[in-house]
Amino acid sequence: MGPAEATEAQALTRILRGDRLRQFAGVLSVLGGLLLWELVSRLLVANPLFLAAPSQILQAIYALTMSGEMQRHLAISAIEFAIGYVIASAIGIVLGFAMANSATAKRALQPWISGLYATPTIALAPLFILWLGIGIWSKVLVVIFLVLFPVTINTEAGLRTTSERLIEMLRSFGASPRQIFFKVSLPSAMPFILAGLKLGIGRGLIGVVVAELFGSRAGLGRLISQSADAFNMPELFAGVIVLAVAGIVMTAGFTWLEGKLVPWTRD
Amino acid sequence: MAPKLVISGLGKSFGDLDVLRRIDVSVERGEFICLVGPSGCGKTTFLRIVAGLEPASSGEVLLDGRVVREPGGDRGFVFQSDNLLPWRSVFANAIIGREIAGQVGPAERRRTMELLKLVGLEGFEQYHPRQLSGGMRQRVNLARALAIDPQVLLMDEPFSSLDAQTREIMQTELMRIWDEGRKTVLFVTHQIDEAVFLADRVLVFARRPGRIRENVAIELPRPRQLVIKRTPQFVRYVDHIWRLIEDDVRASVIEERV
Repeated sequence: MGPAEATEAQALTRILRGDRLRQFAGVLSVLGGLLLWELVSRLLVANPLFLAAPSQILQAIYALTMSGEMQRHLAISAIEFAIGYVIASAIGIVLGFAMANSATAKRALQPWISGLYATPTIALAPLFILWLGIGIWSKVLVVIFLVLFPVTINTEAGLRTTSERLIEMLRSFGASPRQIFFKVSLPSAMPFILAGLKLGIGRGLIGVVVAELFGSRAGLGRLISQSADAFNMPELFAGVIVLAVAGIVMTAGFTWLEGKLVPWTRD
Repeated sequence: MAPKLVISGLGKSFGDLDVLRRIDVSVERGEFICLVGPSGCGKTTFLRIVAGLEPASSGEVLLDGRVVREPGGDRGFVFQSDNLLPWRSVFANAIIGREIAGQVGPAERRRTMELLKLVGLEGFEQYHPRQLSGGMRQRVNLARALAIDPQVLLMDEPFSSLDAQTREIMQTELMRIWDEGRKTVLFVTHQIDEAVFLADRVLVFARRPGRIRENVAIELPRPRQLVIKRTPQFVRYVDHIWRLIEDDVRASVIEERV
């Protein structure tokens, strides 16, 4: 092999190595972080009252799952989230449609929406518990409050920003307002509506957990708060990790759904 | 035979601004009319009024003796920007006019397929707009207007966003397609050579207020090939029309600069 070929080969290896590094950067970063966490909690903190190591958290998740505790908490939180999320999405989409189609509805609703969206409604959770008790419905109400506004605002914005040119194209064929709505406004609002629903996932999860912290019989928030009371760090982190995974999985699922439903917004 | 399209005393004003004043045109069946003029002369507004997309302030448009008030299936509009629906396939975009009229039977589907073939998009029926080039998207735009089988085709600078070579190809393609059906066409452009190449008659517009300065009959033999653009006769037409609008164009350029 001549010198020129040798350098070429080296360059190629470098490029390949760089590519591979980029590919695994995410995985390496997570693994490195976990390793650092494990070392810090074992060697530096070395006190299970303050910090649990990833290995201990995994054990806790395993133990909680075996005893059925994890499933019980997860099921309650999931039901609260699902009911609230579905109700909020339905109402939010309807309100968004109303606001986009009627100036009066927009005038009437806008101050409430803007006001309540900006308010940390999560702070109302104790009040809802007072009204509805410590069962699931107080949590459902919190989720509704948190998910409703991004869905409403996005639906309205999506319908309002429909391209005038596309509407005009349809009008040139003599389309009725109803046809314009279903053939242009609705499909072009879809990416916005889905983005609002996606935003709602994170907010809804926060709502469930925080509301449970304020008072509940079961749920991931309950698991976290009772573990904190008992200084059981591995179980506390077990609750947090399960929540994080739920959030990541649902958001990823939504991104996949977007690819299926509104493929024209890719790239 | 009575003219296909009679426009009489047509005027349009936005507030105090007179965009069009007293336009009188009569168009025969199967005639290819081009409208040229400086920007701001109201040629696009004129086309939109004929399409029924905009109301006239005065005068009227008669299509086969009936007054035009709103858009209808007897006129097909080809837009400057393609205005394709990004979530629909080429075929679904092309047939949308029929769909709005509630006619999507096998005959209409077959006809739409034929038209896509005619505009050179055979095999691309299931593609989506984002997968197509600008020229191909304009072909869909044209097929969509033809799919409703209109009596009159209204074209608003349909090739202005294309590069020069693609535009010339599209001009000859349009001639070939027009030869198949001999529809009545009103074609707005700011390119004088495009107008002379395509038209039986060029309506030269003047600005402020928009009005017809001259009606230039183009007596070039058909079918026309691109080489005709280099003949002395063709160049004479272009020069003549350019002289008619030159002062107006200069005025509008200066205005835009201010």
